[in-house]
Amino acid sequence: MEFNAFFLNFLTGLQLGAIYALIALGLTLIFGTLGVVNFAHGALYMIAAYAAVLISRSMGFTYAIFIVPALLFLVGLLMERGLIRWFYDRPHTDQILVTFGLAIVIEEALKWIFGANNIPFALPSWGSGQVLFYGLGATVPEAIPGLRIPMPGIEGFTFFPFWRLLLIGVSAIVVLGLFVLLQFTRFGLVVRAGMRDPQMVSHLGINVTQKFAIVFGLAAAIAGVAGVFGGPVTQVSPTVGLAYLVPSFLVVVIGGMGSLLGALVAAVLLGMASAFTTGFAALAVDPFMKGFLTALQQIVVYLVAVVVLLVRPRGLFGKKGVFE
Amino acid sequence: MSAVMEAERPAAAPAGEAFVRLKDVESYYGESYIVQGVTFDVKEGEIVALLGRNGAGKTSTLKTIARAHEPHLTAGEIWLGDQAVHKMRDWQAARAGIQLVPEDRRIIGGLTVEENLILAQTAEPVGWPVDRIYQLFPRLGERRRQEATTMSGGEQQMLAVGRALARDIKLLLLDEPYEGLAPTIVEEIEKAMFEIKGLGITTIIVEQNAVAALRIADSAVILDMGSVAYRGTAKEVLDNEELRNEYLAI
Repeated sequence: MEFNAFFLNFLTGLQLGAIYALIALGLTLIFGTLGVVNFAHGALYMIAAYAAVLISRSMGFTYAIFIVPALLFLVGLLMERGLIRWFYDRPHTDQILVTFGLAIVIEEALKWIFGANNIPFALPSWGSGQVLFYGLGATVPEAIPGLRIPMPGIEGFTFFPFWRLLLIGVSAIVVLGLFVLLQFTRFGLVVRAGMRDPQMVSHLGINVTQKFAIVFGLAAAIAGVAGVFGGPVTQVSPTVGLAYLVPSFLVVVIGGMGSLLGALVAAVLLGMASAFTTGFAALAVDPFMKGFLTALQQIVVYLVAVVVLLVRPRGLFGKKGVFE
Repeated sequence: MSAVMEAERPAAAPAGEAFVRLKDVESYYGESYIVQGVTFDVKEGEIVALLGRNGAGKTSTLKTIARAHEPHLTAGEIWLGDQAVHKMRDWQAARAGIQLVPEDRRIIGGLTVEENLILAQTAEPVGWPVDRIYQLFPRLGERRRQEATTMSGGEQQMLAVGRALARDIKLLLLDEPYEGLAPTIVEEIEKAMFEIKGLGITTIIVEQNAVAALRIADSAVILDMGSVAYRGTAKEVLDNEELRNEYLAI
């Protein structure tokens, strides 16, 4: 594979990983604090994407960037207080059933309101176009518009959609923000402690349940960010929630249930695995190999999951005994 | 009449007004009936040794007072001054001033020594500032940036006591503070215990080493089969050999 193709596949892998990471971070945050496997998290992503379409159509995309995560925070809070909290002491299977059931209800409701097909999600004018990466010493025709970034190793020049690059950047900012929140604030200290020993934290006078409800809202807000910036890439349809929930859940399992770092590493790993399999399939000349790689790209994320879990049942950064 | 029977008396503290009152407290671990109608009073500033054989319900009684998730309080009343602790949840009891130092210390992993102390000062009312805790336990000050669970058992016990002092305590519940510690560490913890005694903090201490507990305690409550078998002064227990043989095996 030439460097240009490698580089583009690498960016595609990062972009896929960025969406997986945004959904998986919320999933693992909820599991790590509340012990609940929230299968409705993909549905939250879907609600965010639909809300972003509606708001950007009526008010403009910039409003959607701020309103949708705030709206999703409230939806998450409502969901946790109204439904999920009644299942904390119930077995994981009950939690999965109720959250999965909720996901189906949301999916069907959206289908009923908006129809079963994709609805168009137009990029804002400032978000469209391509970013041009050019090698050192390459000549780039003046007529080509858009942002230009020098990249050592590139032969000539190549393009990557600006929006997808933005998605990677937004995801990185969210990850960084979450890290700062958890590592350097009093709220983060309580959440980290609560993930380890919620009962002892309660014995220190802290209302852990209330803090964890906020965490649920925060996880939903991150799904909100994913919906706003990921919606134009993943399409907005009633099936997109489930389509992204499954690989995101695999990300959580591969990374280790409840591990934020694990979710991040696994998201990039799965994104890369998916992007490079597609990349190699496109390059393959031999018909059998092309067919094999094309088929493999459908299952590669599951294959990675199988291999990681066979070697390390607790996941890359998981704690012993949690779903092992 | 045996000395034990002779010693039995109403569960109220001998004199003075009760600050902590347990009245017919019952609690369960799942289906297991553990605390079976415990009644006793503690005066303000008093240190009570809660004694008894293994399985007598000592730790369960402490956890019930702290309103831990388990054992589950099913009947009875717990009062701290005029506050109905039996109507509170764990975090509310802690805010009311009840501080549990659990048997297994429950130092939070992944957090430094200082973060464990700061965590204890997140909810009001807060007690000692961190620097004062470091003065009492200089070793904690030296290890303030160290991950707390990587310290020795003794140092973790110091942190557990320090963490309690970081809160404004009205009732301190100490569960086996000397358990599994080297004699030198026991001395250091005991020094802190006497400092706490000097501060006049009402304390209930559960300890297998009954003699060590009675050395610091003003009075004793002996539990047997989940209910109170004896209530008297620490000296009475130390002087009553039959009582010690019957319930404490010391």
